Amino acid sequence: MNTHDEDRLKRLLQQALPPVESDPEPGRDLWPAMLRRLDARPAAAPLRFWAWFDAALLAGLAAFAALVPASIPVFLYYL
Amino acid sequence: MNTHQYLRAYLAGVFVPTLVLPLLLAVFIVARIVLQVPVPIEQAMIFPMAVVPSLFGLWNMLWLGSHERTHLSIGLHGAILPLVLMPMGATTAHCLGVLAFSSHGVTWFQAAYVPYALIAPCFVAALAAYYLVWKYIVGALNRVLGIA
Repeated sequence: MNTHDEDRLKRLLQQALPPVESDPEPGRDLWPAMLRRLDARPAAAPLRFWAWFDAALLAGLAAFAALVPASIPVFLYYL
Repeated sequence: MNTHQYLRAYLAGVFVPTLVLPLLLAVFIVARIVLQVPVPIEQAMIFPMAVVPSLFGLWNMLWLGSHERTHLSIGLHGAILPLVLMPMGATTAHCLGVLAFSSHGVTWFQAAYVPYALIAPCFVAALAAYYLVWKYIVGALNRVLGIA
């Protein structure tokens, strides 16, 4: 590869790649967004509550169907 | 994946009743033919076959169209459906002779007697069942089909 080819390659690369800005930092402060995301993580506790609530609801339904078997065909009629 | 959202919502909605209908049919046929219970199967099947699947699909379309504004979860939205479905179903059943009222309770399919005292608990149980079905089955299908 001679000097002419190197210059041509350099020119082509400069044309293809966007120029790097003098100040490569983002336009806004990303730390508040990071803090919000970290604060959002402990949402697992309400999820656990809802999982228990739904399990209790399902158990209650099963108990109700066992106590009142006549309700089963009526439920199926509406499903 | 953003095309035909309402069609996908309808299909996700009709999934559960379409799955339950053959099971229901099998239960009624076994009750009538094997166990010789005099169940009026033809009249009993009209509402679950003609109304329930369509209403499930339309209700899911309604959720898709409204949850941006209402922010109602899919489970709660589904739990409201019995408020619409139950009066319709009871009226249809009564007109077709599937539901009979007496002084102490109601008789479904000329076989299943439910006293009036248990109507309210039955209604609450239906709300709970619908809440669970919509939250876990229809909601999961909505996620699979990319509309939730």
